[in-house]
Amino acid sequence: MTSTETTAGSASQKSPGAQPLLLAIGFVIVILLSAASVWLVDRSSDDADTVIQTLDVQNSLSLILLNLRRAESAQRGYIITGQTPYRDEYQQAAKNTGPAVESATKSIENNLALQGLFSEVPVLVREKLAEMARSVELYDSGKVDEARTLVRGGEGRNLMEGIRNAIVTMYNNERQQLDRRRTESTRTNLYLLAASLLGSALILLIGGTSVYLVQRTSRQRDAAQQELKATNENLEAIVADRTADLREANDEIQRFAYIVSHDLRSPLVNIMGFTTEIEAIKKGIFEQLTALRKDDTEALKKDVEMSRDFDESLGFIKGSIGKMDRLINSILKLSREGRREFKPEYISMDDLVKSIADTVAHRAAEKAIEVTVDTLPPIKSDRLALEQVFANLIDNAMKYTQPGRPGRVRIRGRVDHAQVVYEVEDNGRGIAEEDHQRIFDLFRRAGLQDQPGEGIGLAHVRALVRRLGGYMTLKSQLGEGTTFIVTLPRRMHVEERQAA
Amino acid sequence: MTEHVQIIMIEDDEGHARLIEKNIRRAGVSNDITPFSNGTEALKFLFGTDGTGASNRGRAMLIMLDLNLPDMSGVDILKRVKENEHLKRIPVVVLTTTDDEREIKRCYDLGANVYITKPVNYDSFANAIRQLGLFFSVIKVPESTRA
Repeated sequence: MTSTETTAGSASQKSPGAQPLLLAIGFVIVILLSAASVWLVDRSSDDADTVIQTLDVQNSLSLILLNLRRAESAQRGYIITGQTPYRDEYQQAAKNTGPAVESATKSIENNLALQGLFSEVPVLVREKLAEMARSVELYDSGKVDEARTLVRGGEGRNLMEGIRNAIVTMYNNERQQLDRRRTESTRTNLYLLAASLLGSALILLIGGTSVYLVQRTSRQRDAAQQELKATNENLEAIVADRTADLREANDEIQRFAYIVSHDLRSPLVNIMGFTTEIEAIKKGIFEQLTALRKDDTEALKKDVEMSRDFDESLGFIKGSIGKMDRLINSILKLSREGRREFKPEYISMDDLVKSIADTVAHRAAEKAIEVTVDTLPPIKSDRLALEQVFANLIDNAMKYTQPGRPGRVRIRGRVDHAQVVYEVEDNGRGIAEEDHQRIFDLFRRAGLQDQPGEGIGLAHVRALVRRLGGYMTLKSQLGEGTTFIVTLPRRMHVEERQAA
Repeated sequence: MTEHVQIIMIEDDEGHARLIEKNIRRAGVSNDITPFSNGTEALKFLFGTDGTGASNRGRAMLIMLDLNLPDMSGVDILKRVKENEHLKRIPVVVLTTTDDEREIKRCYDLGANVYITKPVNYDSFANAIRQLGLFFSVIKVPESTRA
């Protein structure tokens, strides 16, 4: 039993530590995975933005080149052929170049590196446009040769070369950056994939461990419960055994008291009977003696003395028998009370105690004793037993008054959790400290023996209170008064005792 | 009660038996009193050697019964008498020290005709027995059934 207890104990100590920790780790991993996913999505969208931006830049750069080349080839066609469609096309393309440059400038707004590379492009474009415009102007004004010389001079080609170089550099630059980003992105994705897989594996591992731990704990708990149940059942059996033993012992005592009292009574009948017979015989003898004595006064006097001694002895014998009879009756009464089955019912203690107070009202008035009954809490208990208890206590309170002081008896009550406490308080002669226990013993009394009684009442009361499931105490000071305190369960449980 | 009615007194205490007899006689009852101080002998007399009670048929009897006997309980005797075909009409007076209510009820349930508690106070005792004697002198006792 001890070993199982310790294992069960250690299991219950371990599980609350390991389980939440595992759960926490699992949560952290899930959170990290989620964060990584969010970051990845964000990153992907960033990457997409960058690609779009790069394409945008490349596109606008291409557009500059395209327009310039269109303008250049149209310009050259015009100067060679002099046909107006070439001129129109040249003008159209030249006009489109400006916006293309603006759009490119705008697309690289956030890219300092490109801005550096791009800075000379607008200047070169402007110069190129100016060069072309000059040649077309010369041609229009009839200076065909001068215009052709200008084209042949190579200024335009050089400018165009510069622009192309700058733009190709930018183009390549952008592509390299894009490639770099793509590589980085791929690597990040790989890392994230690895992390996700690892995290998932960890979560699976944690889940598995948790399931194992839970199963082990529940197995241990089941075992512990089984053990506990067995122990409880065993305990119940032990308690039932002991209760049965006690009950038997109690019954034995009751039977013993009952039988003994009866067997004691039987010889008493004889003693009393034959003593009375002797008394009758004695009467006859002395009558006959008196008749015989005639005038012998001396002898008559002696006879009277003898008769008196006779009566004295018989008187003592009969007095003792009477006393013994009362004691035996008390024991019988106690033992009979001990055998009586209690019938718990709801009782208004106000009514019960007041009716007792009413029955003693006459005696109280004679002895000038004031009996007060406060409001008392009700109880579920045996009515007859409670009547006996309180009748006895009130009777005692009224019996042992302090001479020269008007008697006062007060009955109080209060509820204390599952118990009710009733107090019978008097201002009587009180009980000395050393007698506080003794007065509860059978045939024992305390103080001045000036009142009739056998010393049964309190023993009886205490036995009753005990059987009702309560207990009795007292507070008392010699010459001041006494308070008997009866504590009883609010609801008497009868199953156990009733079975007895 | 006619002269031929026999009083059977089953009482283990000789003193009690003597006191009872004295006081019954004082009431003027002169019937024959047969005392038994234990249950076995009393049963042997009542039920005869064959144990059927047939030996006593045709006789008029009255039983005074104490409950506390050394060899058995008077209740058992009462039960057997009241269950016997020949003896069941014999009036049984339970005369005992027990005044336990359950015991009294039990005796009447079993068919006891009278239940009297012996008082320790001799005046009461003597008075009770004398009254019983007076009672004996007026009651009718049937003869045992002739089966």
